[in-house]
Order: sequence, then C-alpha cells, then structure tokens
Amino acid sequence: MKRKKNIWEGLIIGIFIFLVIVPILTILVWVGTERWAWPSLIPQKFSMRAVNGILRNRQQLVRLCMSSLFISASVAFLSVVIGTMTARALECYDFFGKRLFSFMSMLPFLVPGTVFAMGVQITFIKCGLSGTVQGVIIVHLICSLPYAVTLMQDGTRAMGVKLEEQARVLGAGALQAFFKVTLPNLFPVMLSAFSMAFVVSFSQYFLTLMIGGGNVKTFAIVMVPYLGSGERNFASIYSVIFLVIMLLVFGILEWIVGCFTKAQEVEYY
Amino acid sequence: MKKKMTPYILLVPQLILGVVFIIGLGTGIIQSLGVIPAFGLTEPTLKYYKEVLTRPDLLQSLKYSLYIAFMSAFLATVTGTFLCAVLVSAGKVRGIIMRIVQIPIIVPHVVVALFIVNILSQNGILARILANAGLITDQQQFPMLIYDRYGLGVILAYLWKEIPFIIYFVIALMANINGSLGEAATNLGANKLQAFMKVTLPLCMNTVLSGFLIIFVFALGAYELPFILGATTPKALPVLAYLEYTKPDLRARPYAMAINGILIVISLIAAVLYYILLRRSTKKLAG
Repeated sequence: MKRKKNIWEGLIIGIFIFLVIVPILTILVWVGTERWAWPSLIPQKFSMRAVNGILRNRQQLVRLCMSSLFISASVAFLSVVIGTMTARALECYDFFGKRLFSFMSMLPFLVPGTVFAMGVQITFIKCGLSGTVQGVIIVHLICSLPYAVTLMQDGTRAMGVKLEEQARVLGAGALQAFFKVTLPNLFPVMLSAFSMAFVVSFSQYFLTLMIGGGNVKTFAIVMVPYLGSGERNFASIYSVIFLVIMLLVFGILEWIVGCFTKAQEVEYY
Repeated sequence: MKKKMTPYILLVPQLILGVVFIIGLGTGIIQSLGVIPAFGLTEPTLKYYKEVLTRPDLLQSLKYSLYIAFMSAFLATVTGTFLCAVLVSAGKVRGIIMRIVQIPIIVPHVVVALFIVNILSQNGILARILANAGLITDQQQFPMLIYDRYGLGVILAYLWKEIPFIIYFVIALMANINGSLGEAATNLGANKLQAFMKVTLPLCMNTVLSGFLIIFVFALGAYELPFILGATTPKALPVLAYLEYTKPDLRARPYAMAINGILIVISLIAAVLYYILLRRSTKKLAG
C-alpha cells in the first residue's frame, strides 16, 4: 500500500516538473532557429543571425541590462527598507490608526495595477516624473511593497520582541538592540523580500510602459514588440537573457542566505 | 511621548507611497465621473458609467475578464494546494524540487506568453506532434487554443505561473502544520488523509484563500497576457480601458476611467468577500 502511494506521488511530481521545464526548453531551441517549417518537429535551419544581431549592438544591450537591473535593484532595496519599517510599526506597536495603515499597505494587492497606472499618469506628468527612471522606480515600488511588507510582517511576528527586550535589559540602547539583535535575525527574511520585490519590478510591463513612456527601457518593454511582430527568435533571446539575469540574482541571494544562516525552523502554530 | 511617535515615524515612507497610490485611484475615479477641468468638464455625472454599462461589448468584456480571473485563480488554487499536499506527503519540501517550483514564479508574464505561443499555437509544438502522429493533417485542424474566445491560452499561461506560486505560498506553513499537528492527529488514530483534510488543510485555509484573492485580483486587472494571448473580441477589461485611454479624442478618457472604476468595484467586492470568509474560518478554528 505504502509503496503504491509513493509511485503515484512520484508520477504526479514528475509530470508537474516536466510541465514546468518543457516550455523553457522551447525558447532555448528558438534562440538559434532560422527556419522551422510545418510540420517538422525540429527546425530545418539553425543560425546565429538573431544572436549576432543583438550582440552587434552590444552597447545597447549592456545599457538595457544596466537600466533594467538598476531599476529593479533600487526598487527591491527600497522595498526591503520601507517594508521592514512598516512591518515593525504594525507588528510591534499599538497606535491610533493602525488598522487604516495596515489596510493602506495592502491596498495595491486589492486594486489592479493597471487602474492605478492610468489614474496616476497625469500626476506624474505634472510632477515631471513621467518618462524618468525615478518615476518608474516609484510606481514599481508601490506595486512591490505589499509583498515585502507581508513577508517582513511574518518575519517580524515570528521573531517577536523578546530577544530585543533581552538586549535592552542587558543594557543595549534602542537602536543598538535593533541593529545588533533584531536585524541580523531578520536578514534571511529581508533577502526573500528583496528577491520578491526584484521579481515583481523586473517583470512589470504595463506600469513601465505607462510611466516610462518608452523612454525608460527594460527587458519587458524591449521584448513585447518582437512577440507582436512574430520574430520569435529575437523575443526568445531577450527572454533567455531575462531569465539568466533573474537566476543569477536569485543564485547570489540564496548563496548569501546560505552563508549567513543554517536553515532556521519557525513554528507557526 | 517619544515612544508614541515611533510607529508614525516608521510609517512615513509607507504613508507617502500610499498617498501616491490613492492619488492615482482618486484621479481615476474623479475622471470617471466626468470631472476633468482641463477639458472643460466640471459637472460630476454618472453618465459614463451608465453608457459603459449598457455597451454590449463592455458586458462581454466584463464576463470575459471575470471568467478568466476566476478560472485562473480557482484552478491554480485547487491544483496548487493539491500538489503542495503531494509534495509535503512525499517529504519534498526543500531542495531541488522546490528550486524548480520557484522557476515559474520568477519568469515574467511576457515570457510565459512566448512559451504558450511556442507550444499551443497552430504552428506550435503540440500541433506538430499531433501532425506527426497522424492525428491532424493540416494546421487549421488544430483547435485555436490561443487568441480564442474562451481565453484558454491566457488561463493556461496564468496556471503555469500561479500554480507554483500557490505551492510556494502555502508549502512552508503546510509542512510545518503537517509535521506537528498532523502528526499528532495521526498518533491519535487518524489516517493520513483524515489528518490532512481535518487538521492540516483547515489550518492552511486562510493562506490558501489569500493566495486565491491575490491571483484573482491580479488576473482581473492584468494587461499583458490578455493583450498578447487574448482574442480580438471580447477584449479583457484592462485592454479595453487602455484602448479608450489612448484614443486621441480626450473626451474618451472618462470612459476608460469608468471601466477602471468597475474594476475597482469588483476587486473591492472580492476583498470584502475574502475578509468575511477569513473571519468565518478563523472563528470556526477558534470555536
């Protein structure tokens, strides 16, 4: 009986993993595909034309990477800082208007980003933020922050204030206790908040389009027109670069977490 | 006194961003009521909502958007929770398999759209496999799975991304409960399924519901996938709103905002329902 169940479990997990992996392989094939006529299962002609085309404009590609990375890294960093502050206020203090603030911090989860983007565009134009990197960072930040706040709230709640109080009792100042005791313990959660916020920002298309107005180039903005025009090899190359950057960012973050802490168990109930 | 101010000081940046968000929503709502002083429109009116709500194409879009959002969120939540349970039961809650689960979460929607085109279009791999197996002879015989009226391509794209999201969202909690309270239930004589259905799943329900809500609201208001993979008619609400928004005739702007207003109302209704369900399930647990 037990044996049989394990086979089913293995099968289900196997199918799931297959369905996750296969789509990614399709874009790898398309990167070097020149001609792939119906109904052949493999492309007739491979070439590096599209790859070379993109690499020829290396400067442009580097600039695109830099602007995309800069925007998302700034958004992620700010999300973590603000998320930690908000989570601390909401979890460790009782104050007037707490529920209102709590609701406000989750509001971007409840209202679609497209609605916000169309509404706020005129304000951004008036403030001169439209078409600027700062403007894009602000709107990305608004959409990434709820994720960071949620994660940081969970982390802060699990951590509690007991250790920090202990440090205070032992003579540490308020700031000292926070920076030397609480912060290092929250560090792994902060890194997952960072990666979540990074992903949300890196994937934005509509918000970047609305507020960036075509001036601010990110991978999503550059890729979508190729999708529409049916140039799948170009779209695939940008997608692969997109994914490689994401994986690198995640790899580095995971590595930092791994160095920093042995897997900690948190009891929820 | 100083202590009393601390939370407010901590909340300053959050407050500033919150205000920007509310300005965005407020501007949209005011414009949807037809108040745009720059265009000489100053009388608030509900006429745009009335007109928009009687347009046949809008009702179609409304149904289409609700259907896509609900199907994506529902199927993703159910499948995701099921797979999560399988993973917990198989003891695969970290390591290489969880790495693979994380992949779709970090893949942007526009890239997922490309996957779907590669696989499900009439020129895609699935159609080619069927042709090679002799099941179809012509591209046209392959059903339209993308750009179709039923939004299949859009829903499948969301599922590819959101099922792993649900797993990731729920698994830490589920593994934890299953290890502690689920184990206790098993020791008290429940079988594995009973322990899961009666102890672990109810305790995870709030998180699962939050996951559902996040996906529903996201899919309802997202532009990318219905824009790239959706049908020409009906258009999803955000696509329709953006179309009105970018019309050169600025008097069309209130229509765009009225569509957005409808999106806000639906999202808020979903949120209220969610809070009611949340409270009820919390009460049930307490009682």
